[in-house]
Amino acid sequence: MAGKAFRDNAARAAGAPWLTLKTREMLEAWLFVSPTLIGFLIFFLGPLVAIFYYSTTEWNLLSQQATFVGLRNFHNVLLENPDFWHVVRNSVIFALGLVPLNMALALSLALALSRPFFGVVFFRTVFFAPVVTSAIAWAIVWKFMLQGEGGAVNQMLAWIGINGPNWLREPNWAMAAVIVTRVIKMVGLNMILYIAALQSIPRDYEEAATLEGASRWQVFRMITWPLLAPTTLVIMVLTTIGSFKVFDHIYQMTGGGPENGTLVLAFYIYQQGFKFFNVGYAAALALIMFVIVMALTLVQVMLRRRDME
Amino acid sequence: MKTAIKLALSAVALCALSAQSMAQELRMTVWTGNEAHLKMLNGIAAGFIAKHPGVTVKFETVPVADYTQKLTFQVAGGNAPDIAWMMEDAAPAFENAGLLMDIGPTLKATEGYNFEDFSEPAMALWQKDGKVYGMPFSTSPFLIYYNKDMFDKAGLEDPNQLAAKGEWNMQKFQEVAKKVTDANPGKWGFEFKDGEGYASRMTHALLPPVRAYGGDLWANGQCGLDKPEAVAAVKQLHDMVFKDKSIVPPGEQGDYFSGNSAMTVNQISRASKMPEAGFKWGIAPLPSGPAGEAPVIGQAALTVFASGKNTELAAQLVAEMTSRDNVAVMAQFFPPARKSVLESNAFVNSNKLIPPEQMKSVAAAIVNGRVHPSHEHVPQIFAAMAPRVDALWRADANVEDALKGVCAAIQPLL
Amino acid sequence: MTARRTEILYRICWTVALLLLAVPFVFPFLWMISGGFKSTTEIFGTPTLIPRIWRFENFVEVFTYQPFARQYFNSLYIAATVTVLTLFIASLAGYALARIRFAGAGLLMLFLVMALMVPEEVTIIPNFFLIRAMGLIDTHWPLVLLPVFGPQGVVATFLMRQFFLALPKELEDAGKMDGLSRFGVWLKIALPMSRPALAAVAIITFLHSWNLFLEPLIFLSSLEKFTLPLALSNFNDSYGLPLWNLQLAATSLAVVPILIIYLIAQRQIIESFALSGVKG
Repeated sequence: MAGKAFRDNAARAAGAPWLTLKTREMLEAWLFVSPTLIGFLIFFLGPLVAIFYYSTTEWNLLSQQATFVGLRNFHNVLLENPDFWHVVRNSVIFALGLVPLNMALALSLALALSRPFFGVVFFRTVFFAPVVTSAIAWAIVWKFMLQGEGGAVNQMLAWIGINGPNWLREPNWAMAAVIVTRVIKMVGLNMILYIAALQSIPRDYEEAATLEGASRWQVFRMITWPLLAPTTLVIMVLTTIGSFKVFDHIYQMTGGGPENGTLVLAFYIYQQGFKFFNVGYAAALALIMFVIVMALTLVQVMLRRRDME
Repeated sequence: MKTAIKLALSAVALCALSAQSMAQELRMTVWTGNEAHLKMLNGIAAGFIAKHPGVTVKFETVPVADYTQKLTFQVAGGNAPDIAWMMEDAAPAFENAGLLMDIGPTLKATEGYNFEDFSEPAMALWQKDGKVYGMPFSTSPFLIYYNKDMFDKAGLEDPNQLAAKGEWNMQKFQEVAKKVTDANPGKWGFEFKDGEGYASRMTHALLPPVRAYGGDLWANGQCGLDKPEAVAAVKQLHDMVFKDKSIVPPGEQGDYFSGNSAMTVNQISRASKMPEAGFKWGIAPLPSGPAGEAPVIGQAALTVFASGKNTELAAQLVAEMTSRDNVAVMAQFFPPARKSVLESNAFVNSNKLIPPEQMKSVAAAIVNGRVHPSHEHVPQIFAAMAPRVDALWRADANVEDALKGVCAAIQPLL
Repeated sequence: MTARRTEILYRICWTVALLLLAVPFVFPFLWMISGGFKSTTEIFGTPTLIPRIWRFENFVEVFTYQPFARQYFNSLYIAATVTVLTLFIASLAGYALARIRFAGAGLLMLFLVMALMVPEEVTIIPNFFLIRAMGLIDTHWPLVLLPVFGPQGVVATFLMRQFFLALPKELEDAGKMDGLSRFGVWLKIALPMSRPALAAVAIITFLHSWNLFLEPLIFLSSLEKFTLPLALSNFNDSYGLPLWNLQLAATSLAVVPILIIYLIAQRQIIESFALSGVKG
């Protein structure tokens, strides 16, 4: 029904002589993007601007009193709060651990599973299955399996003679554990994206190279990898952003502990804003996070550009 | 014409107003979803409704894990409940933000309420400058739960027998924990409260021994954990975890209720979990220490939000719920702070699961106990504490240094 | 002959390696389901994959303990609403951005790219106040509005745009000649051709909503309004202690149906990703 009315209107507009083709096109275009645009202004751009204002206030969510304090929140975050740099460090370590591991594993799996062979469907299914599982469910199960002596992981390690650590109670092991379990959870998505990209590469290139005596590695290095570059860039950027956003996984598995060893930025913002009710302080943190993620993304895009040229 | 319309409009407005006042709804947030608890609460509410026709009372369960946070969101969202259960650690923040109503006048004006009946220590947290911000409905001492079967297997006297002989102290506690662990391979002598002693209940793990040694977590704006008494107490716990291996260590599960630990600390409400446990059990006071007996109390109160539409009515409901009769009814789950109820035979016999003589020690603990220390910035304090307490619970930790670290982290917040 | 043999050997090695690698992907599911049938005592006893005593009643208690069926339904209908709305809005905008050259398009794209880079955690605080001002705290509205119009909606818009860019234009031109309006071309020609992209976007969007945690955690406080992820982390007794076996049983109930749908449709899902050119 709505479609018909819309069409009629458009048809009438088409018949309106006072509208040039160009203006009509433009009107149509803005009409098409208007739902996205309006929502975007209300729920994204507005809040983003508001964050700038919030970050200059001291604002308690409980008493609902806000006072203007200028740049004091930033001063406190950057200069007076030792936890902050620890948190940034954790976020960077998390990203540095997660992104390469995720991408390397995703690409290896995609290379292994991009062509049909007996069992390929089974494997693709298996490696993608955690993606469709809720992050909370995934974290709940792994938290169990990573318990000290009684945990399933350490029991399995014991079969092969390894005495596993108390995973979630030692800061470094806990960080490793949240990274690896997150990779297992998410790698399937990147794998599929790589498979899609690999399948769109014409087979003749690789076959020609193989006929000329190139080894598998050479074919990959000289032909496949360069052709995958655009996909790699997209995956890298999205995975990096995703790694900074990680919240539910940490919330459920470690709650930021032990010894703040897995306290990452997203969780810290949540804690300041919604546990301690320091709205202004949390807003300053959010703004800093915004700058970090933006800068990282731009650097990645620029580096890749230079690479490709 | 105009006047007619005005008249009609005001008549409509009047109707709307009176309709509203006839159907007043009081909403109360609670953190229990337990059917027996809700049935009891609704029963009490029914009595109130009978006296106040047209009033409805709705109990809304908000999950306990994020209770305070969710309550804050309701308040910040302009949707505060009329009445809320309030935990001791959250109270000062709400009180200081000016969100809670002074219900003292209403309570004191209520016929037969007898405000003075509430024990003074129990009211300490809820009164300020002669104003009353909450009425405790649960004043629940920490107790030792023990697994009689495991003690029998080790051929040991149980904590209650030791307490009767006056030997139930921290030294004895360490000794029997070790012996009972040795006699029950694969199990432990003691589990911290709810198995959460290294996480959400870290202060509940530390507080009883620290108090028994004469210390405290903090008092009068001073961190107490680096004082000699506290250090000695925590050193003992640390030895029990890592040297004796008689306390369930971090990262392990030794659930008392599943029969995997011989003792734990908990409150009497947990007795309801015991019938299905499948072993013989009992409760005993906390072990005494160099500072004598030092019962610890966990508390929760009924508070009225000042922003509500029917604050006076809400205060009246609080008065009803904490009247002598209803406190006695609630005592089956929530230990009372009313002296007359505590001293009554009815209270001692109120718990089907706990024998009267053990209930007497519960009553004594309520009268003598001190509440867990509180503060306006409890969430921040706990968050600052947590990583340093994690560092304490390592096998190679230097207890004294770790506790100094804890104090350094929380002192600025106190 | 030897070449063939090495090829076979190579395949076997690969398969064995993949099987080993598959263990951490599969085992959690088996462990979770088995834990759902155990008693708490058994979960903490010596771990075995097959429960000694099968406690089917766990799966009944999941529903009596909290309004789990209602919470399940909440997640389903919210995710479905978000998906439908996103598909509609994103394919409209994506189409315009791909097909129509108009003033401001460049600027719009730039803004949208920026939205991609901003984590929800950054805007959640002002959004909390916005939703409060709208009086929508403790309703499902924010769980629909924020994903549809937030970064996830932008991702969908981009995916649709990429796909439309790759579509041959000729058919649409023919449609225009037949007198179809722009909207008609979009509805009758472009959309039917973009089924793989729509499918891919639908899957990503549905999963995103299905897994949403921070927003429900902040906006919802009544039990009967909870969504699944929130409900799963809430199998605690009235003192806040986790009821492990119920938690695992509920987790299985939340995960297994999605897994089954995925198993049935996995070929189409993977193909739609491949065809949609999600590769960017």
